[in-house]
Amino acid sequence: MLIAFVEAVIDGDADPTSARRALRHALGDAALVDAAATVASFNAVVKVADGTGIPLEPWKAERTADIRAALAIDDLRSHDT
Amino acid sequence: MTTIDVDGEAMPIRPALAEALEVAWQRLASPGTWWTGAERLAIATECRHASACSLCKARKGDLSPYARTGDHDAATDLLPEAVEAIHRLTTDASRITSRWVRELSDGPLGEERYVEIVGIAATITALDTFDRALGRPMRPLPAPIPGAPTRHRPRGARRDLAAVATLAPEAIEAGDPNPYPLHGDKNIHRALSLVPQEVVNFFDLDVELYLKDHEIRDFAIEPRAITHRQIELVAARASALNRCYY
Repeated sequence: MLIAFVEAVIDGDADPTSARRALRHALGDAALVDAAATVASFNAVVKVADGTGIPLEPWKAERTADIRAALAIDDLRSHDT
Repeated sequence: MTTIDVDGEAMPIRPALAEALEVAWQRLASPGTWWTGAERLAIATECRHASACSLCKARKGDLSPYARTGDHDAATDLLPEAVEAIHRLTTDASRITSRWVRELSDGPLGEERYVEIVGIAATITALDTFDRALGRPMRPLPAPIPGAPTRHRPRGARRDLAAVATLAPEAIEAGDPNPYPLHGDKNIHRALSLVPQEVVNFFDLDVELYLKDHEIRDFAIEPRAITHRQIELVAARASALNRCYY
């Protein structure tokens, strides 16, 4: 339900109405507002990272090396070119 | 109780979030460090327009995002280099390269104005995404607030961490604004620090949309109406869809 909501909001061609309704019905109004706020944050902060090429902190990269490798997250970085 | 209007219904909203949203809208319209209020709103307008640009649509489908040349369908009279920056940040940010950033930064646009564009693009994206998520109509941009940009480049800023110059906490010199006391000095905070006010502008909003730095790993309290787990699930899915490496 939360995943469907995020996907519908971020896909500019999608209509989030039904996902929003389902989330509101299940978790309530305040939860809907805070879920909307979280999507907004993570749809925006990526522009800051991508737009400046800021690297991950070494300590964070070290701690997350396994999961980043498993999910191929480092392949998403285009700033080395 | 503070509320937000959603399709004629009053929904509860945290007062701090409601205030941060209003402050962010006003700051968009206010004179910045390198752009006037009217120019900042033009940048926001161009962000909203970018998804309709035929060049951007074509590039989005290209395997090589920098091969295609042409003119953007611009909605404003901003510099072509500014329009290029705004449109790519809005439509294809995950494929931005350091080379592209440096070419723009070292050209007529200039590094400081480019960084302020990044901050504005992030802010209007957050504001518009929030409204879209709640089913609210896209809000008209406010009227510009007159005044001149301050045009202060921190003397300690260096291009030694990212594709743009940043201000390390230990490099802040007398007379330079310190953008870090309130929200922290992790790399994501340093990203916009060539224009310190943009760090403050964006993160004053972001900490209310998401969490304050000290709340992120404090699992003893749940400061939102959704739990830490739910917040991180939303965050992770949004980041994956945006191909965020950070």
